[in-house]
Amino acid sequence: MAEASVRTKGLCKRFGEIVAVDGLDLRVEAGEIFGLVGSDGAGKTTTLRLLTGLMAPDSGEIMVAGVDVRAYPEDARRRLGYLPQTFALHGDLSIAENIRYFADLFCQDLGEVAERRDELLDATGLAEFTERRAQDLSGGMKQKAALICALIHRPTVLLLDEPTRGVDPVSRRDLWQIVYELPAEGVTVIVATPDADEAERCSRIGVIAGGAIVDAGTPEELVARHTARLIEVATEPTRQARRLVHDMPGVRAVSALGGHLRVSLEDDGPSADEISSALADEGLRVEGVREVEPRLEDALLALEVERDAA
Amino acid sequence: MSRPDTLRRTLAVARAEWIHNWRDPRSLAIIIALPIMLLLLYGYAINFELRELTFAVQDWDRSEQSADLIDTLARSDYFTFHSLVETGEQIERLIEGGEVRFAIVIMPGFGEQIAAGKTGRVQVLLDGADSTTAGIAQGYLEGVMRAHSARLMKRWAKSRGIPASAAQPPIQPEPRVLYNPELKTASFIVPGLIAVIMTMLAALLTSGCIVREREAGSFEGLASSPIAPVEIIIGKLLPYAGIAVFDVMLCIATGGLIFHIWPSGDRAALLVVSLVYLIASLSIGLTISSVARSHQVATLIAFLTTMLPTMLLTGFVFPVRSMPKLLQYISQMIPATHFLVVIRAIYLKGTGVGPYIREVTALALISLVFVVVAAKAFRKSLE
Repeated sequence: MAEASVRTKGLCKRFGEIVAVDGLDLRVEAGEIFGLVGSDGAGKTTTLRLLTGLMAPDSGEIMVAGVDVRAYPEDARRRLGYLPQTFALHGDLSIAENIRYFADLFCQDLGEVAERRDELLDATGLAEFTERRAQDLSGGMKQKAALICALIHRPTVLLLDEPTRGVDPVSRRDLWQIVYELPAEGVTVIVATPDADEAERCSRIGVIAGGAIVDAGTPEELVARHTARLIEVATEPTRQARRLVHDMPGVRAVSALGGHLRVSLEDDGPSADEISSALADEGLRVEGVREVEPRLEDALLALEVERDAA
Repeated sequence: MSRPDTLRRTLAVARAEWIHNWRDPRSLAIIIALPIMLLLLYGYAINFELRELTFAVQDWDRSEQSADLIDTLARSDYFTFHSLVETGEQIERLIEGGEVRFAIVIMPGFGEQIAAGKTGRVQVLLDGADSTTAGIAQGYLEGVMRAHSARLMKRWAKSRGIPASAAQPPIQPEPRVLYNPELKTASFIVPGLIAVIMTMLAALLTSGCIVREREAGSFEGLASSPIAPVEIIIGKLLPYAGIAVFDVMLCIATGGLIFHIWPSGDRAALLVVSLVYLIASLSIGLTISSVARSHQVATLIAFLTTMLPTMLLTGFVFPVRSMPKLLQYISQMIPATHFLVVIRAIYLKGTGVGPYIREVTALALISLVFVVVAAKAFRKSLE
């Protein structure tokens, strides 16, 4: 397909003085699982709301599944599935009633819906809870029920806003299991998340900061682009050690992680031994130093440091 | 936008709203308990107020018989004696100032007439501006005077040795109403109260239903579906239209069982007109719910925008005809003005809606306007 599934150009949205989305260009191809990754306040939720037409942009173009959202929001919504950050089901309706509600809102054939519903209920393990009211479900079950409702009309584009926030690991796995199967059905998925672990599951990532995409690529590309070498140091006390290492030349970023320091280095930065002895010189106890494979989290952190420096 | 799809989306919203109302204890309390409570509260408040009605007396006769009558009235539970006055101007001043609720004027020769077995004349002056109180006062007054009269009659007949049935009633009160010549009677209260309570309740019912969804988050799910605003508005109206008519029946039953006032006219027609009427209030509630920032604010605005104008500008308390011209025009735009005419006629005159086609048409038009306003005010956006 030549036409991208989701495309925005120069998208802007401000709330009074605050610029939430600032010239955002996005291009997501059909069948991708695209991660919109950024910290809180980066503009993720606003971007998704602009894509659904729930908010009107101040300027810019939005095309979703070949439909101009600004001109034909209802046509776009027929092709969109949206899982908002806040729980969007009716709390005092049962799961079955909520599914029926969304099937009606999207005017789906009830026979097809029944088939689709059973399939999704099985995949989420919610089959035996269909009569339970949505407000009485656990956090993970709520999200799974909401995902079923967002998928009941077989959207071509699915927008997920922090889908696994506050969700237990088992439900998280269930949710992703369903999401992984969507590209095979021709569905494009956009996942907004602040979480690097979640972002790593995506086929491609756009890093959003200050309302704009600052970099995009596969998780591997981003790691390669923004981290060179990574060293893990087991040391005590970490706070003092962190400050010390941070000030060494050739060090890009340091993060503390439970008794460990993860040190992101330039290619010509200090070696593991040099760091170790620098710490020992200051009288800090060093229990171990090793080179590790950098992960997406390190890349995102480095990217943030680069931006702060700029 | 095909028709079956429109219907399906509308009914989806209606069904969800319907289920919500019967499962949410708070909604259920508003639907069932509130109308009954309000009717009892206001009904009794008005009755309580009528315990100690103060009155003044102008006694032209100054006889033993007139003193006896004044004494009987003063000792009754309903009345409190205020003062003896000399002139008509004094009476007017006391009534206008609200110091007394009514005055009685005992005509010259009252005592002689009674002693002679004839009828003595007593004039009763009532404050018609407060028509409900005046109506009730008149009712009490007639009762007390009739009892007093019967006692005198028996005494007189006994002294002459003739049967009491042959005697003339000795006291004939002649009521005259000041400020509001067509005095409205006590049964005026209940239909008026039903109109006021239902106006407020209808707006209250719908005032929460959109802002609540915004607060809960389900609005985002609804708004990101391809439903049209007018489908949402009609879908929200449908269940509440049913609930509102149910509440009217609840009010009618409460008024009948507790205050013994039933509509004497066409009850089915009354329900139909109520429905037409309440769609306006329900739409006002929806409009408020579309624009309000929070559920609490919506409730407050719904209460203020319906309760106050309905109480003050529609003839519920003050007759429309005695208002300044500008307010009279405004009152024509308030649906309750027209509804009060119809519901009072059905309650008191025992008619159907036939003679009130003008009012019913006005109600239908006003309701239509408010539905359109609600649909226009609604935004499928999160801003």
